[in-house]
Amino acid sequence: MLEVKNLHVSVAGKKIIDGLSLKVADGEVAAIMGPNGSGKSTLSYVVAGRADYEVTEGSIRLDGVDLLDKTPAERAALGLFLVFQYPLEIPGVATMTFLKAAMNAQRKAREQAELSTPEFMKKVREAAAKLNIPQDMLKRPVNLGFSGGEKKRMEILQMALLEPKFAILDEMDSGLDIDALRICAEGVNALRSKERGLLVITHYQRLLDYIAPDTVHVMHKGRIVRSGGPELALELEKSGYADYAEEAA
Amino acid sequence: MGAILQNPTQAEQDLLKSFSAERSDTQRQAAFERFARAGLPSRRNEAWHYTDLRAKLRAAPPRASRPDASVLDQAKEKLAPVDRFRIVTVDGYFSPELSDDLTCVQGVKLRPLVADDAILKRLAEGAEDALLDLNTAFAEGGFALEIAPEVHIDAVFELVALDGALGALGRFGRTVVVLGDGARAAILETRAESGEGFGDSAIFLSLGRGAELDYACRAQGGAAVEVQTFVARLEEEARLRAVSFLAGAPFLRRQLFISCAGANAEVHLAGAALLRGREHADTTLALTHDAPSCISRETFKYVLADQANGVFQGRIIVPPHAQKTDGKMLCRGLLLSDDAAMSAKPELEIFADDVACGHGAAVAKLDQNQVFYMESRGIPREEARAILVEAFAAEAFDLLDDEELRDLLKADLARLLARGDFA
Ligand SMILES: Nc1ncnc2c1ncn2[C@@H]1O[C@H](COP(=O)(O)OP(=O)(O)OP(=O)(O)O)[C@@H](O)[C@H]1O
Ligand SMILES: [Mg+2]
Repeated sequence: MLEVKNLHVSVAGKKIIDGLSLKVADGEVAAIMGPNGSGKSTLSYVVAGRADYEVTEGSIRLDGVDLLDKTPAERAALGLFLVFQYPLEIPGVATMTFLKAAMNAQRKAREQAELSTPEFMKKVREAAAKLNIPQDMLKRPVNLGFSGGEKKRMEILQMALLEPKFAILDEMDSGLDIDALRICAEGVNALRSKERGLLVITHYQRLLDYIAPDTVHVMHKGRIVRSGGPELALELEKSGYADYAEEAA
Repeated sequence: MGAILQNPTQAEQDLLKSFSAERSDTQRQAAFERFARAGLPSRRNEAWHYTDLRAKLRAAPPRASRPDASVLDQAKEKLAPVDRFRIVTVDGYFSPELSDDLTCVQGVKLRPLVADDAILKRLAEGAEDALLDLNTAFAEGGFALEIAPEVHIDAVFELVALDGALGALGRFGRTVVVLGDGARAAILETRAESGEGFGDSAIFLSLGRGAELDYACRAQGGAAVEVQTFVARLEEEARLRAVSFLAGAPFLRRQLFISCAGANAEVHLAGAALLRGREHADTTLALTHDAPSCISRETFKYVLADQANGVFQGRIIVPPHAQKTDGKMLCRGLLLSDDAAMSAKPELEIFADDVACGHGAAVAKLDQNQVFYMESRGIPREEARAILVEAFAAEAFDLLDDEELRDLLKADLARLLARGDFA
């Protein structure tokens, strides 16, 4: 379970998250929608542990464990995963080297034996096939020169391989074509389970048609201003965020 | 012969005194006289601006003598078996005892250099430098490796330079490698003369028409003050791919003088230097396109931790007759600490009009977003940083055609990074 309580975050002296609270239970799929700049990506980065944010108040717990004093890698080893809105390109680092380092680092942190190369290759090949990722994409440096959609597919591949306990998906639908959206959504749905919580950040109902959420939250100016069921997303699709502009002001 | 130098430093006095004119041949004598006039280069000498040898070398230690049997025995212990042809020098002296016997390798000749060796005549022409002169004046136990025309050797030749006798000593190794027309070879130079003292070594490469050489130098460790000179001359259509991997030397100057003497010659150069603590490494390159239609590519990379100091000076010289020259030079520094410093000075001197030449230099820090991305996948920060450093540096080795050399350097790099000094 992810539990964020009264979170306040500033970047470069500017307040971006302003008293945000949110709970996502095991097995739950929660969606966050909200206008550009409302702080959705900031929330996901802070949960993942990016350095340049200042948390001035509040707490973030995963399964009861306080994340704020953990390094990003420790959070990952605890089972947290973030699908980046803008995945990074890493020239010179082969995708396979990167995947293997990630999988083995997490296994090591959990005191599991490292994967042998054949075991690792088999896992990657199978997971890539399910996501329609061609082998030659895996031979390139991490995300280097990948199209927007290819990058998102790589994110879902990493998520499938790392089998996180809790995943935040920050606009995984942006840049995906219609087929890729379906394939990636199927990949995500395959990971839905009683134990695994998902937080899906998106602007569009289209994604939620594929990944049906249990709860929907509206974020505005660094706060959750409304929560509800799937119907809330449909409502937003019609009316936009105009109503919240005054409420939050 | 009296020194003409004004106010010689202690080191200069030591060096001038230790030259014995009786044992000297013409090349030696001429080189010594040039040195005696010029002295050690200081920052006032443009080519040495960032590496003030005159200030750094307080005193010149006595020259190492030819190693005796017990020194050789000790040196031998440092040699693990390898499946390469190995040629060993100890304190700069060629040691047939520790080297592989190459007499039965077809088309290969290994021999000691002799006084006024004819082989050196044309090779040393283009290189004017005080430390090269000093090497010419003092080097005694050098060797020549000659590969006959059209002979292709698949196995790698490893030239290993070891230290032998203890204490602060001056070591002056000297090596000549000649590839006849159309010959092909791969050479690994392993420089491991460490400890106190002063090193001033030189290697001369001659590539005949259409000859092809893969060359890698790994200098890991080094004398307290060390200068390495690399001189290469390429005839028509010859190809040289040369890489250096520098790490662990306290104060190192590596200077390369390369001449494309024949049309359509190709030079591909790269270097990776990983420096930490207060280490200083200076790579200075002078590449002359002395014939039309030659191609050259240079990429030199520096990873600088702690208070390390990296220097790159590169000069591509294109005289009027070298039309259709295609040269590109790049220097990149990666600063891992705020106290590390990089000085880069790439230059083009172009006197021909129909050429395509360019150069660039960039210094940056590790990309924090890339580090965070890797961390978010569970890779601890030090490991993530090491992976990025490795990717940055290893690219320098990719130009080698010889897979064994490439893998060897990459393995060395991985081993170095595993120690955690560059995270
Ligand atoms: N490093 C930073 N320095 C200054 N302002 C920042 C920084 N990072 C984020 N912000 C600001 O914080 C606000 C929230 O940004 P964030 O990326 O979290 O929004 P978002 O809700 O994800 O928007 P979108 O829907 O466009 O992805 C924006 O106004 C942004 O400009
Ligand atoms: Mg965003």
